[in-house]
Amino acid sequence: MPAISSAATSFRRSAVTQDEPTAQPQAEVVELPAASRATNIALDELELVYAFIYARVGNRADAEDLTQQVALKAIPRLRQNAPASSIRGYLFATARSVLGGFWSTRLGLSEAELREDLLLVVPTDPPSEEGTESVQRILAELSDNYRRVLELRFLHGYSLKEVAKEMNSTVGAIKVMQLRALRAAAKVRPPE
Amino acid sequence: MNGKHENRVEKVVSDLLRGRRLKLRGGDAEEKAAITTAARLAGGRQGPQRMQPAFRKRLARALEESPRDGWITRRAALVAGLGLAAGAAAGAVGARALEPQTVKAGDPIQPANGRWIDVAAMSDLVEGHGKRVTAGGVGAFLFRHGGTVTAVSSICSHLPCELWWDGRGSNLVCPCHPATFQPDGNPSDPYHLPALNKVYARVTAAGRVEVLGTE
Repeated sequence: MPAISSAATSFRRSAVTQDEPTAQPQAEVVELPAASRATNIALDELELVYAFIYARVGNRADAEDLTQQVALKAIPRLRQNAPASSIRGYLFATARSVLGGFWSTRLGLSEAELREDLLLVVPTDPPSEEGTESVQRILAELSDNYRRVLELRFLHGYSLKEVAKEMNSTVGAIKVMQLRALRAAAKVRPPE
Repeated sequence: MNGKHENRVEKVVSDLLRGRRLKLRGGDAEEKAAITTAARLAGGRQGPQRMQPAFRKRLARALEESPRDGWITRRAALVAGLGLAAGAAAGAVGARALEPQTVKAGDPIQPANGRWIDVAAMSDLVEGHGKRVTAGGVGAFLFRHGGTVTAVSSICSHLPCELWWDGRGSNLVCPCHPATFQPDGNPSDPYHLPALNKVYARVTAAGRVEVLGTE
């Protein structure tokens, strides 16, 4: 098929010399535009924000909503080519206020009433001790029964009935114990 | 709290363990410590979490598609004394028409049709203390340095909240989150927030302090 072969040769030549625009695909390597690179950097920082928020609201749907709020509030800042350390500080400050708004709305409290809790709960930087270690540390401070009920529920995923059976108690009593255990756990202070 | 406390908290716990959203009622505030702790235990039990790929993609799209140039934050609108309706800029869409008034962090505020407004007597100002004044739509804190006066915006550079002067710490403090600023407008906390906008201020021959504000 000499005609087609000739057309293909002609296309290759024109692609090299860039004589004229062509409808054919031109290059195999597509460089990402600057905005995409900036977005990827922002997304990597937002991963830390997501982990931070998830560790405090305990569910994916709320964590996603709040992370998105942080991202949208921080967009102007993200576009200023600020250094990563500054972006992170800003994102976490924003995450902190977004979390404050979340809890005050859900609990029907003013942010002033929550301020003390937030100061205690939310550190300034991505904490090194997140997740399971922090859970273990809180549980370790509790009395045996309180620790057991929270371990079985949160770490082993037991239902109330299963916890009651395991601890030779009733569902009602375990429910009350769970509430008291959570109140006691709330008083465990983060390490200095 | 409606119903027994232990029942409400158990509902929250079982929702969390099923991966559901936090659904709270106003009355649950009485058990806020137990509820926030339950959320932390649920959030921490599986270690640090990463975003789901679908959500990351959605977020990337939101970052790419949001308005770029000429948009103005609600805070910037307030700082500029534009009196913009809060809701319009909260969505960051309706405010695009106000492009020329965009204010960058740290820049002096130059209100449209600005006027010098008499706000205080020089003798009212005490060295080392911030004084809150209003010049029409522009709120500012004045600081005296001998015979001269400097001024910064009274609106936080992060959230649109009115700052207050903390004499003990010699800082301007945001009531909405733990952010503080020095009298020169630079942040004094570890968050590296943008600096406060400066406000033009002058001292007249009669010893009065004027601020460039609005009618």
